[in-house]
Amino acid sequence: MSYVHPEYLVETDWVAEHLNDPEVRIIESDEDPLLYAVGHIPGAVQVDWFSTLQHPLRRDFLTKEKFEEVASNLGITNDTTVVFYGDKSNWFACYALWLFQYYGHQNVRIMNGGRAKWEKESRPLVKEVASYEKTTYRAKEADKDIRAFRDDVLKQSTGKKPLVDVRSPKEYSGELISMPNYPQEGATRGGHIPGAVSIPWAQAVNDADSTFKTPDELRALYEGKGIKPDEEVIAYCRIGERSSLTWFVLKYLLGYPKVKNYDGSWTEWGNLVDAPIER
Amino acid sequence: MPLPPKLQEIVDDFASMTREEKIETLVAYSESLPSIPDRLKDQRDKMDDVPECMTPVCLLGEKQPDGSIEFFFEIPPQSPTVRGLAAILGNGLNGLKPEEILSVPGDFFLPMNLQDTISQQRINGFMGVLAHMKQTVVKLLGDDLNNFLR
Repeated sequence: MSYVHPEYLVETDWVAEHLNDPEVRIIESDEDPLLYAVGHIPGAVQVDWFSTLQHPLRRDFLTKEKFEEVASNLGITNDTTVVFYGDKSNWFACYALWLFQYYGHQNVRIMNGGRAKWEKESRPLVKEVASYEKTTYRAKEADKDIRAFRDDVLKQSTGKKPLVDVRSPKEYSGELISMPNYPQEGATRGGHIPGAVSIPWAQAVNDADSTFKTPDELRALYEGKGIKPDEEVIAYCRIGERSSLTWFVLKYLLGYPKVKNYDGSWTEWGNLVDAPIER
Repeated sequence: MPLPPKLQEIVDDFASMTREEKIETLVAYSESLPSIPDRLKDQRDKMDDVPECMTPVCLLGEKQPDGSIEFFFEIPPQSPTVRGLAAILGNGLNGLKPEEILSVPGDFFLPMNLQDTISQQRINGFMGVLAHMKQTVVKLLGDDLNNFLR
């Protein structure tokens, strides 16, 4: 068995062969925002989940108009093939891809293995910041089918529909309210959304080279925990970055037709007055 | 109490920088972070982990004959932001007396306007490193701490 939508994944070899392809824009999106400045794939541009992709005031993403401006400044047209890669097994690469899809950019890919694999293969990294001629970019209206809001999540929970908690086991149990080794803040309550199953994000990737596990392994992992393609699935974590990797796996590698990422995640749910919590 | 002069200088520098300049400067700090000297390598496993930090940060403090403190860090190259922030603290505080280090307020970084460059989580991690440097100083003082407090 192969991935259901293998066209959403490219290998490092493919990227190396398309460094100068005008139809392709390579975007680095990291957890550590300095990594791009330290060295990046030749010709790659950067988006930062925090300073580029968030609304400057509200807790939300940048507006559609701002997104158009960002895409235009990165030299992306509506037809450009956008390839994302990053650190931490592509957490924030998946987050950026999800947001590009949210505003309707269809032609997107993840570079399998991300930054770690590219480095491991001793491929070139450069410091020169790439710049491209501005384009005219027209975003679509936000695609709410891939983003869950708190009311959707409450309905999902009370309707006993599939919810995947991709945080670490101790965050799921409520012992910690943030990742181990991260500042313990952001939510006033610990635990998980009632009915959510625990499938930590990292189980979808290989430790050795950060690539995604095989289709069979992935299917066994999610179906084994009762997360099946026949129902709408919502994935969440702490702020929606780790769960965008899970969203990518379920939607494109396994081809689940209806998957949403809940970016409010635990930093919203664990602070929400009256929200049900299970421990 | 005013900030130690070297730290104050760094804070002032950052206060006047654009976001791009801050990134460039943080990268330069990250690259300048010295590795642990060979003579201290055997103490590597005694280094303190800083649990507030998102990346594995190890910290070692060494009391010098003149009573001042030198800090050493081990932080992976995949985490340049954390390396850069640790290097700022190292540059600003190395060679100071314990009381000078302990008197640095936890919010000294506010005028640096880092929030346009890095997320609040990272700023918290930065403060975690400072808190651990202070704890290290307290540990190094040991019995002297009582004299110091008197």
